[in-house]
Amino acid sequence: MRYFRLLATLLKVNIQMSLAYRADTVVNILLNLMWLGWELLGLSIIFNNTETLGGWGPGELIALLGVFRLVNTMMAALIWPNTEKFNQSVRDGSLDYTLLQPVNSMFLVTFSRITVWRIWDLVLAFILIAVGVAMTGATATAVSILNFVLLTVSGTIVIYSLWIVLIAFTFWFTKFDNNVTILQALLDAGRYPVTVYPVWLRIIVTYLIPIAVATTIPLQALRGELGLGSVVTFIGIGIASFLAASSVWKVGVKRYSGASS
Amino acid sequence: MAHQSPILVTRLSKTYKVPEREGGFGAAVRSFFKRKYKDVKAVQEVSFKIEQGEIVGFLGPNGAGKTTTLKMLSGLLHPTSGGAAVLSFIPWELKPEYLRSMTLVMGQRNRLSWDIPAADSFLLNQAIYRIPDDEYKKTYKELDELLELEPLMKKPVRNLSLGERMKCEIAAGLLHRPKVLFLDEPTIGLDITGQARIREFLLEYNQRTGATILLTSHYMADVTALCERILIIHHGELKYDGGISDLSRRIAPFKLIGVMLADADTHDLSGYGIEVPNEEDLEKRYIQVNAGDVTGVTSRLLADLPIHDITITDPPIESVIEQAFQQ
Amino acid sequence: MVNIFKRLWQVNWAEQWQYRANLIMYLLYFLVSPVIYLAVWTSIAASRGEVNGFTTNDFITYYMTLLIVDQITSNIILHIFAYKVQDGSLSGELIRPIHPMLTNTLVNNIAFKALSLMGLTPIWIILFALFRPDYSGVTWLNMALSIPAMALGFIIGFLLSAAVTSLAFWTTRVYSISEFYFAIFLLFSGQFVPLPLMPDFVQEVAKYLPFQLSLYFPIQLILGKLSPEEIIQGFLAGILWLPISIGLFNWVWREGVRRYSAVGA
Repeated sequence: MRYFRLLATLLKVNIQMSLAYRADTVVNILLNLMWLGWELLGLSIIFNNTETLGGWGPGELIALLGVFRLVNTMMAALIWPNTEKFNQSVRDGSLDYTLLQPVNSMFLVTFSRITVWRIWDLVLAFILIAVGVAMTGATATAVSILNFVLLTVSGTIVIYSLWIVLIAFTFWFTKFDNNVTILQALLDAGRYPVTVYPVWLRIIVTYLIPIAVATTIPLQALRGELGLGSVVTFIGIGIASFLAASSVWKVGVKRYSGASS
Repeated sequence: MAHQSPILVTRLSKTYKVPEREGGFGAAVRSFFKRKYKDVKAVQEVSFKIEQGEIVGFLGPNGAGKTTTLKMLSGLLHPTSGGAAVLSFIPWELKPEYLRSMTLVMGQRNRLSWDIPAADSFLLNQAIYRIPDDEYKKTYKELDELLELEPLMKKPVRNLSLGERMKCEIAAGLLHRPKVLFLDEPTIGLDITGQARIREFLLEYNQRTGATILLTSHYMADVTALCERILIIHHGELKYDGGISDLSRRIAPFKLIGVMLADADTHDLSGYGIEVPNEEDLEKRYIQVNAGDVTGVTSRLLADLPIHDITITDPPIESVIEQAFQQ
Repeated sequence: MVNIFKRLWQVNWAEQWQYRANLIMYLLYFLVSPVIYLAVWTSIAASRGEVNGFTTNDFITYYMTLLIVDQITSNIILHIFAYKVQDGSLSGELIRPIHPMLTNTLVNNIAFKALSLMGLTPIWIILFALFRPDYSGVTWLNMALSIPAMALGFIIGFLLSAAVTSLAFWTTRVYSISEFYFAIFLLFSGQFVPLPLMPDFVQEVAKYLPFQLSLYFPIQLILGKLSPEEIIQGFLAGILWLPISIGLFNWVWREGVRRYSAVGA
C-alpha cells in the first residue's frame, strides 16, 4: 500500500517533468509511430515473399510484434532512463542518498524515472496483439490467453531481473558504464520468432540473455503449443529469477558498504 | 530516565583494500590475473561521544578520514572493526526507523533532481519518509521562515544559484525532522554571505529542535561560529577532542605579541621569538612565543626597542588548528 | 596541412584507444540487426529456393558484406558533435584556425573506424565460419571499383550527417531530427533489406536519393551483381551528389556558426 502511494508520487513528479518538455513528447510520439510503420513495412515485405516465417503466419507475427513492443515499452519507459540515472548517481556519488532512504533501494532505482508518454506505446502494443490474434482466427482459447498473459508477465520479470543483476555489477566493478549494452543490443532479436535463428543465436537469446522468454514463448503459449508443465516451469523461472536478482542486489549493496570485504 | 548519548563511537576503524598498480602494459596484464592489494587505514580506533543538542566540528586535512567516519555513522559504510551507536541504532544495519531519524547532507552531492522544481522533490521525500501532511506543512513553514525557500520552490533546480540550491538541499534533508544531522562541507563553494546564512540557520535549527549536529568544514569561520567543541582527526587517528577555546592551550600554548615600532623594518626580532606574518594588521609586527615566556619577552622588548604600542593576544584559531594537523 | 592531420590523428587515435572497451559494446550493438535479418531472409530463401532472384547465399553475402561496408561508410558525427554544441565546448574549437568539422571531427571518425574495423575482423571471421558464405562471384575488378565507391559513399554520407548535426546550432531537438534522418536512411539505403525486395515506389524513390550510395551500391558492386550500366549510373549519381552535399553542408554550417556566435553560447 505504502509503495503504491510512493509510486503514485513518483508518477506525479515524472508527469510534471514531461509536461515541461511538451514539444519533445509530441515529436517522440511521431517518431514512435514512424518506427511502427517501418516495422509493419518489414513484415509486409516478408509476407509478400512467403506465407510463413519459421512456421508462423502474419497474424502471429503481428501479435509477436505487439508483445515485443510491450517488453520494449517497459525498457524504454523504465529500464533505460533509470539505468542512466543509476549510472549517473554512481559517478557523482548521489547513490549514497538513495541507499540511505528508508525505502527499498531496488524499488527506488527501478521507478525513479518513468517516461510517461510511453503509456501510449502500451496502447499500441495491445492493439497489435488484439489485431494479430484476430487475424490468426479462432485458435485462441480462454486458457491459452491466460497462459499468454501469465508468461508475458513472468518473461518480463525475467528480463527485469537480468537488468537488476547487470546494474548490480556496478557495486563490484565501479567503472562499468556499459552495464546494459548487451541487453540493449540483443533486445531487437525479440522481433522475430527465435525458431528462425541459427542454433547459436537461439541459445544466446533463450538462455543467456533470455529475450525470447518474454516474446517468443508467450506467443507459443497463445498458439497452444505449450503444455501445462512448461507453462508452470516458465512461471517458476520468472519467480526464481526475481528472487535471485533481489539477493544479488542485496549482496551488492552490502559489498558497496564494505560489509563483505 | 536512562540517559544515553545520541552518538557513541568506540574504537571505530576502517581499512580499505586498494589494488596496487604499477604503470606500463605488462604490469596491467599481470595485475589482471593477480592483484596486489595495499591496506589503507582510513580510520583507526576512533572513539568519542556526542551529547544531545551539541554541535560538534569535525576537522582534519583532506584524506584524514572525516568523510569515511561520517559515512560509517550514517550507515553507508561498514567499519572494519569497532562499534558505533547513533540514537541507539547500529547505523550500518540501515534500519528504516534509523534512516528516518537522521540525515546526511553532503555539500558536493546533489540529492535534488536537476530537472524538476525542488517542490516536487520535497513531495517525493514526504512520501519516502512517510511524513503526515500536517507535520510536513508545519516543518516546511518553519524551514521557509528560516531559509526563505518559497521563491525558489517553483524553479527547476538547475536554474538555481549554488547558494539557493544548497538552501534547498539542506531543507530537503531536514523535512523529516531528523534528530541527528551529519553535514559534510555544507557551505562548500558558497560566498561569504551564503556561508553566513547557512550558519545562522543551523544554529537556529539546533536551538529550536535540540538536534545533534556533527559537521565537517574547510571554513574555520563555520567552526568558530557554530561549534563549542571540535574533534580533530589526522591520518585516521583522533588527535583532539575538546572545547575550541582550550585548543590553543592544549595544542599550541602560544601567545602572539604585536609591537608597533618607531622605524618598523630596521629591527631584528628573531632574538625574541618566531616572527609570523599578519595580513590584517600591517602596522604591527607579530612574534609568537611560548605562553610561559610572555612576561619575560615583553619586558625585554620594552627595554630594548623604541616601542609605541604593544598587544598580547591568542593566536587565531585557524593557525592553531593547522599546527594541530602538523603534529 | 598534412602536419595538422598527422597531429590530429595522433590525438584522436589515442583518445579512441582509451574507449576501446566501449567499442566492443558498440560492435555488439551494431552486429545484431544485420545478423537477425540475415537469419530471417535465409530461412525464407531456404524454404522457397529463392526470393525475388536472391538465393540463400545471396542473402548471406549481402548482409556479411554490409557489416564491413557499413563500418567503412557510416559515421558517428552526431555523437561527438551535437554534444559539443550543446555544452559549449565547441567555442574553443571555433576560434582555432582550422575547420572543426572537416578536420578534428573527420579525423576522429576515421580513427574510430580504424579501431572498429580492427575489432570487427575477428568477429567477422567467426560469422564467416558460422554462415559459410560463398564469395566466388567476387572479382578483383569489383573490389578495386568498390574502393572509390565506398569513398564517395563515406564522403557524401559524412557531409549530409554533418549538415543534419549542424542543426544543433538552432535546436536542442537535434537527436530527434537525426533519428528521423536515420529512419529514412534505413529505408532507402538497403540496410533493412536489399532494395529489389522493397515495394516498387520505395525502389523508385531510392534511385533519386543519395543513401543507397553508402550501402546498397557498394555492396552489390563488390558482389558483382550490377551490370556495367548500373555501375556507371551509380558513379554518376555519386559525382552528382558530391557537390550537392558539399554545398548543403557549407550553407548550413555557415548559417549555424553565424547564429551560434550571435546567440553567444
